[in-house]
Amino acid sequence: MLREILNRRDLIGELVLRNIKVRYSRPVLGVFWAFLPPIFNVLIFYLVFSRILKVNIEEAPFMLYLMSAIFPWSFFQETVMASITCLTDSRNIVKEGGVPHYFIPVSIALANGVNFLFPLLLMLAMAVIMLKGLPIFAILLPLVLLIHIMLTIAVSIIVSVLYVKLRDIKYVFETLFLALFYISPIVYSASFIRQSFPETIYKLYVMNPLTGLFNLYRLSVIKGFVYFIKRDFGLISVLVVPLCFSLAMLIFAVHYYKRNRDEINDYLAY
Amino acid sequence: MKSMTTLLTEPREERCPAPANILVELAGVGKKYKLAKSDFWALRDINFSVEQGRILGILGRNGAGKTTLLNIIAGALAVTEGKVSLRGKVLALFNLCIGFQDELSGRENIFLNGMLLGASRKELESKLDEIIAFSELGDFIEMPLGTYSQGMRLRLGFSVVVNLDFDILVIDEVLAVGDALFQNKCFQRLTEFRRAGKTLIITNQGIDLIKRLSDTIVVVNHGRLVFLGNPEDAIARYQVLLNTEQFSVLPQDIVKSTKRSAGDISAWGQKLGTKEAVINNVEILNKWGFLCQEIETNSPLKVKVHFAVKDTIKESHFGVAIFREDGMYCYGPNTQFDNMHIPLLKPGSYYFIFDCEALLLAPGRYYISVAIWDKDETVAYDYHNGCYHLTVSGKICGNENALTNIPFKYNYSINPARLFNLFTGRNTFPSLDLSSVAWGQSYGLNNIEVKQVKFLDIKNKENNIFFTGEPVKIAVSFNRYPYRNKDLWLWIGIYRSDGVYCQGIIVPFFNKGGHIMYFPELALLPGGYAVSIGIWSSKTCNFLMYQHGLYPFAMEFNRQDHGTVFLKHTWIWNY
Repeated sequence: MLREILNRRDLIGELVLRNIKVRYSRPVLGVFWAFLPPIFNVLIFYLVFSRILKVNIEEAPFMLYLMSAIFPWSFFQETVMASITCLTDSRNIVKEGGVPHYFIPVSIALANGVNFLFPLLLMLAMAVIMLKGLPIFAILLPLVLLIHIMLTIAVSIIVSVLYVKLRDIKYVFETLFLALFYISPIVYSASFIRQSFPETIYKLYVMNPLTGLFNLYRLSVIKGFVYFIKRDFGLISVLVVPLCFSLAMLIFAVHYYKRNRDEINDYLAY
Repeated sequence: MKSMTTLLTEPREERCPAPANILVELAGVGKKYKLAKSDFWALRDINFSVEQGRILGILGRNGAGKTTLLNIIAGALAVTEGKVSLRGKVLALFNLCIGFQDELSGRENIFLNGMLLGASRKELESKLDEIIAFSELGDFIEMPLGTYSQGMRLRLGFSVVVNLDFDILVIDEVLAVGDALFQNKCFQRLTEFRRAGKTLIITNQGIDLIKRLSDTIVVVNHGRLVFLGNPEDAIARYQVLLNTEQFSVLPQDIVKSTKRSAGDISAWGQKLGTKEAVINNVEILNKWGFLCQEIETNSPLKVKVHFAVKDTIKESHFGVAIFREDGMYCYGPNTQFDNMHIPLLKPGSYYFIFDCEALLLAPGRYYISVAIWDKDETVAYDYHNGCYHLTVSGKICGNENALTNIPFKYNYSINPARLFNLFTGRNTFPSLDLSSVAWGQSYGLNNIEVKQVKFLDIKNKENNIFFTGEPVKIAVSFNRYPYRNKDLWLWIGIYRSDGVYCQGIIVPFFNKGGHIMYFPELALLPGGYAVSIGIWSSKTCNFLMYQHGLYPFAMEFNRQDHGTVFLKHTWIWNY
């Protein structure tokens, strides 16, 4: 598989490029659409939670706190949702062009990854402005990004293959994402959970790899967040849980794809 | 005697000489789709190979399995069984314009499309000018694809494909699109590939194109390879397929059983009919064209029917039927089953001839019916039921009281004269008909134990459903057997599933290896059959063991001729 990717990296590049070009070549606002939806998303949550519900968190300015989780979340969710139907959507490419199936979800993930760089930069800029600088952990950012993309690619490959056989997956994931959004510390602080639930539930909550991932982003973007990590999560588990989980998912995705590779086209026929 | 000599020679091994450069090879390829209700074999038992620089055409009706076959060669579908080996870079073309994006320019689409088809960026960059020139798009190449006409898209798609590098090109029906000029260009380019020594696998509903291009054509029907050979014969076969089958993609239109005995033999000798046409005289002619009452088994037979037409008849059909004296239906073809069209017949004298290549009937007494029907075969103008008598002569050991005498070969060469003398000398070889024995019964298995009885098709693969006229091997092997004994003989009987004894074969019993009875053309008509086997001792004049009807097989055919055995024939008539 690795050799296949290396041999045909041109094609992956082209597919990624196509994805991006198609997205931004026609709309009048062009690349601005990479910024606008996540910004609006953040503004809405800010309005609802900070202004109306008066949620108060101690970790960071609420706007920055929202951004540091909603941007990575959107990247993850959009990619996985787009990957679910990607093989059936581009069945002519896969079947008639003989392109390896996983190229499609991978190219979607990479294209969305490139897109994600714009909000990421915005987030960094906001952090510099609001907190007058970045934490030392900003050097972890490439690693965090790598973990994030690995996880996204792995899940995308799995769901794209799964959907070909089991079309229910689409609805299952729509529901699943709604739940995941609220059981991860995106719009509230993890300490709220600690206060309102027993310790065992909190321990489980901390094991959520997405929680770890958002914490990593916050650690490397928000100055002073390291104190809360130490207090609420523990520095080691924050790094280890998402890293191990992403690697495990990637290995599983490769294995799962290989096992089903020969059957995918049979199911794509109808 | 004479026929025995020719029959009992060793069967030739059907093995192709290994050619130097086979690029595509399919061995026993099958593809099963799992459908909601049942599994469906879209392809079964496909074997062929393509040498470098050859063009292979694939013909078949819609739903015959062509596209599945192409997908498998192209690697887009995995096989359920068998093996596909490819040497070289395969370029598959099921669709021009794969991955084309309206938002991107023509130039950008060249890269996208080319890379989807397996080219590298470098390769495309070096060929870009050539591709653009070939597409004749000029300045349009910088415009978004959305502004292109359908023809321009096709031109662009085709330009990319024909400029790519490949060893094997697999093309589905894409070239059937586009205008005549475009098609001409395609054709030219394909012939250029051919000159350049590329290997092509093409399919197209247009018979002309495929005939002009292909070196070899395979004909696929109901997921099976029914013909492999030169284009002329293949197209003839394909057209027969088109003619003989009703339009249906389901395999049900294969005939699985036939009418197998006469309704009432007491009606023989009757002459019925509305007499618009009257049969005056029926001549039975031997291979020399002489009138006769007796014909040697396995030699040609002609039935010439003279008739007079009283009133003009529009569409008529001729029929001939051969019965054994006890009413067993041997063969009953007619011109309707054969898709013949007999033109309008004005009053006058005519004749028609049923010309049979080889009379595959066992020696015995037979009756022949002849008839002239109306077009729907409902009203007989004249029908002579069992009026004509025919004796089939010959002496075949082990085939006494049988119905058919289908030529076979045996894997050990034996001296037929000695075989014949052994039996006739003792004059004790009885009728080996086991009809009175219960079906499925075995006897005397302690002495000898049958290991297996296998039915093998032309590719030496085990099967038990065959097409009428297909080459079939019956392989018998034993686990326990007595030592070589000159007085032991292996007898094989083929029975219809209704218990009627069709053919018996007796060969010397050897205790080494297996016994293979090879029928170059197993001409049994559709229906169920079963094989019985026995070991006969000519010393003690009894069976040391036998197994009656334990090994079933079935025949299928795409025509509905009545009877038990298919006799290759033609119809001739004057008008």
